[in-house]
Amino acid sequence: MNQLILAVLALVFGAGLCLLNVDNRVRAALGLLSQAVAMVLVWSVAVPVLMGGPEVSGGISWAYPIGAIHFRLDALGAFFLSWSLPMTLLGSVYAVGYLQKYFSGPRHVGVHFSLLNMVALSFVLVYTGDEVVSFLFGWEVAALAAWQLVIWDYTNSKVRFAGFNYLVSTHVGLLFLVAALMILYTHGQSWAFGDIGRWMSHHPGTLRNVVFLLLVTSFGLKSAFFPFHSWLPRAHAAAPAHVSALMSGVIHKAGLYALLRFTLLAGKPDEWMGWFLIAFSVTSAVIGALYTVGQRDLKRLLGYSSTENVGIAGIGFGVGCLGLSWNSPALVALGFGGGLLHVLNHAFFKCQLFYAAGCVYQIKHVIDMERLGGLFKLMPVTAVCFVVGGVAISALPPFNGFASEFMIYSGLFSNASMGIWAKLTLGLVAAALAFVGAVSALSITRAFGVIFLGNARDPRLPEAHEASRWMLVPMGLHALGTVVLGVAPIVGFAVVATPVSLFMQGMPAAVAAGTLDGVVGTLSRIGMISGVLVAVIAAVLWLRSRFTTLSPDRNQTWGCGYDLPNTRMQYTGAGFSTDFSQHFRNVMVLLKRQKAPAGYFPRDSYVITDCVDAVERRLYNVIDHGDDTAVELSAKMREDDPRLAFSAGLAAIVIIASLVLLAEGALR
Amino acid sequence: MKTALQVIHWLFVLTMPILLVGVVNRTKSWWAARKGPRILQFAYDLQRLLGKRPVESTTATPLFRAGAYVVLVSAVVAAGMAPILGQFAPIQFSHDFIVVAYTLGLARIALMISAMDVGSSFEGMGTAREAAFSTYAEPALFLLIGAASAATGMTSFADLIGHLHNTPYYGVVVAPLVLTLLILLQAEAARVPVDDPLTHLELTMIHEVMILDHSGPELAAMQFAAAMKMTLYAGLIAALVNPFNPLTSPVACVLASLGLMLSVAVAVGCVESLTARLPMRWVTRYLLIASTAALGCMVVVGLGAGN
Repeated sequence: MNQLILAVLALVFGAGLCLLNVDNRVRAALGLLSQAVAMVLVWSVAVPVLMGGPEVSGGISWAYPIGAIHFRLDALGAFFLSWSLPMTLLGSVYAVGYLQKYFSGPRHVGVHFSLLNMVALSFVLVYTGDEVVSFLFGWEVAALAAWQLVIWDYTNSKVRFAGFNYLVSTHVGLLFLVAALMILYTHGQSWAFGDIGRWMSHHPGTLRNVVFLLLVTSFGLKSAFFPFHSWLPRAHAAAPAHVSALMSGVIHKAGLYALLRFTLLAGKPDEWMGWFLIAFSVTSAVIGALYTVGQRDLKRLLGYSSTENVGIAGIGFGVGCLGLSWNSPALVALGFGGGLLHVLNHAFFKCQLFYAAGCVYQIKHVIDMERLGGLFKLMPVTAVCFVVGGVAISALPPFNGFASEFMIYSGLFSNASMGIWAKLTLGLVAAALAFVGAVSALSITRAFGVIFLGNARDPRLPEAHEASRWMLVPMGLHALGTVVLGVAPIVGFAVVATPVSLFMQGMPAAVAAGTLDGVVGTLSRIGMISGVLVAVIAAVLWLRSRFTTLSPDRNQTWGCGYDLPNTRMQYTGAGFSTDFSQHFRNVMVLLKRQKAPAGYFPRDSYVITDCVDAVERRLYNVIDHGDDTAVELSAKMREDDPRLAFSAGLAAIVIIASLVLLAEGALR
Repeated sequence: MKTALQVIHWLFVLTMPILLVGVVNRTKSWWAARKGPRILQFAYDLQRLLGKRPVESTTATPLFRAGAYVVLVSAVVAAGMAPILGQFAPIQFSHDFIVVAYTLGLARIALMISAMDVGSSFEGMGTAREAAFSTYAEPALFLLIGAASAATGMTSFADLIGHLHNTPYYGVVVAPLVLTLLILLQAEAARVPVDDPLTHLELTMIHEVMILDHSGPELAAMQFAAAMKMTLYAGLIAALVNPFNPLTSPVACVLASLGLMLSVAVAVGCVESLTARLPMRWVTRYLLIASTAALGCMVVVGLGAGN
């Protein structure tokens, strides 16, 4: 417990030191140092808990109105803490390389590092908070720090807008969360999670269902589930690469953590909650994946793929909830285990992909894939990291994404006893997941093929070269994690097993242990097959390189007889995706602006295809319309009209009365 | 006994691709009233390619060559887990079918990356089509497995297919499931009516256009892997129809399996001779037939269990 308080102090102190009036380099060094210290301190508490040790708890007394602050670190919090802080540290290391050119300039880089410290601080608060106040405080620190980090390039109005969009969205989510917590407070009569949990687990019914829906909406907004994702592609495209990486891979996992925390508090969720979660998550996964296909901006593409991946993890959690309500240990282990492992795996490969995108952007100053190309030869490390992450994000062996999706699939195809239609529905969900996998393979091949392979498309862009070591090392470490967790998924599962057993507390210990052992057995097979794949491919390639008599001649790419191809004749990203997008034009809005060649000597002609977000478009349409309607209404109304005052008063009374009734439990 | 079956399985995996390609080509030449190539012609082709010094594009990166062998190795590993002899596979564990599907997925992404690697103005076309069609093909396989899993309650691929024979639904679902697998075979192994391995009009090709720049040993690896995928799916069809269980009557089972796989090849050849390839815009609808058939089987299983 003391280590946790020390870690909080180290982070706060470090954040303060970053603001000192010293050289930018010193500020960054102080930030990194304090994060490293906090990381070691947190590990010293979290790792024993994660390895099955006793929970750590403690409290601090505070003046009214906050009262006592309780901290409790159980296996679930320890799991999230154990990788969130190191990854934030790696992101901060990456920031040193990414913001290099500002270090010698007049700009105060310390603020940025101080905010990164605050992000790390928010993890400690959220993942250890045992009552509402410190939890919400950490939640808010994360939101504000992330917003400030996003608008690093604040002189650009688009970036400011993206940041504002994020700020509003995250606070709309906060409103839902506060609403749910207020209902819980009126019934639990306490801010402590333990009391809330006692009420939730003993009072299933309409009110608990309302709370569940409010919580899912709020956490859905935090983790960018569809249709609450519209702020995400904007924010990810605007933010510096490491901030996008941290937001997507680490910060927004807090939404999933909170979902799990409240599921744990609810004890035994209703069956419909599991199905609802699955339906919600499948929609997210499918639509997120579809949206990745049309994007030109690599970081927007990766942003949408976050929506897809939280959906995949959410499917796992839904399966786990079904397992809880059906009392099936296998479903609980595979569902929650697969979901949690996917959260960890996603953090590894998504940060890695964003870091690669950042390396490209820093050198080329462009992230539009139609202008890039042929970067593999000039940036081999970045390209290899990207392709490893890409194969992992498509959930293909031998990398880590496969292991977690395999567990989720096993949950969907499990032989646990359930109704035949439930089984068939889960089979359908598996088919949807297969579709998602194939679509993400499509978009990642498209992105990698267009950006890194082939030849450079735009000669006006600066010559590419490998980015600085500050950026390559964090990316490489993430890639290493992706490979290790793929070839040895048992390592990942070992980290996940203790949090999963929290969900199996209500089941006989022997059954729970047996189920977990079964999962370990299957996962070791998966690891073996991944290992065999890697080893055999390496052996074959080595053998091939021994046959020097067969080393190839070099010639230009076969152009089917055409001898003077130029780099503009390569396949483009839009060309790659148009065929596929056409089938889903109801979901994806494709805007096409074009100027066709005209006349005998056409000079200027172009086609620009943009895949815009349907939800966001709809949202703005409604808001625009809402503005108009409000203006029209107010023009019609006279302010001194007594009817207006009367009806407004009536509406207010109805709302207040219904809130009171709700709080009194009239709905029960 | 198991060892013998394992040896036979691997023998099938390694030799049947050559035999099946030969039979398909022979069938096609029989319909065209030609004498046709030798049954083992594919083996000679591979041998010729293996001795040839390849030409690689100056644009290509190391991934280009690596891709070909990733495709080959993945196809072989997947074939090791597929129950082509019925209720048996050398590598068998619970939920191995997911590994089969995703190992084939690895083969596909490696193929697509190699194709994009040369910066060609044609190969992206094949890649885009392959990627788009696979999004239709992949769910069909999982729907098929979902139907079999709900019917049998088993979790490994071999048990799913083996136990399906003993369920009351077998008579109803076997035909649609065979149809699903046959369509998947045509899509995955690049056969008519999804793709035409013989056409040399680039605009209509899928698989062939992706390997335009491959030559020598790499081309051999790619072609053998494509034939391997055909073997895998033909083997699955054979296992679905095969009335014998390899664990109780191995000899009859292996012979039946051999016969059935060859008849699948004849069927593929007949389809190729008698129909033209579909226009590209119809291919997705054709692939949807596979999903619909599998979905129908799921409904049958659901209704059957209710009664």
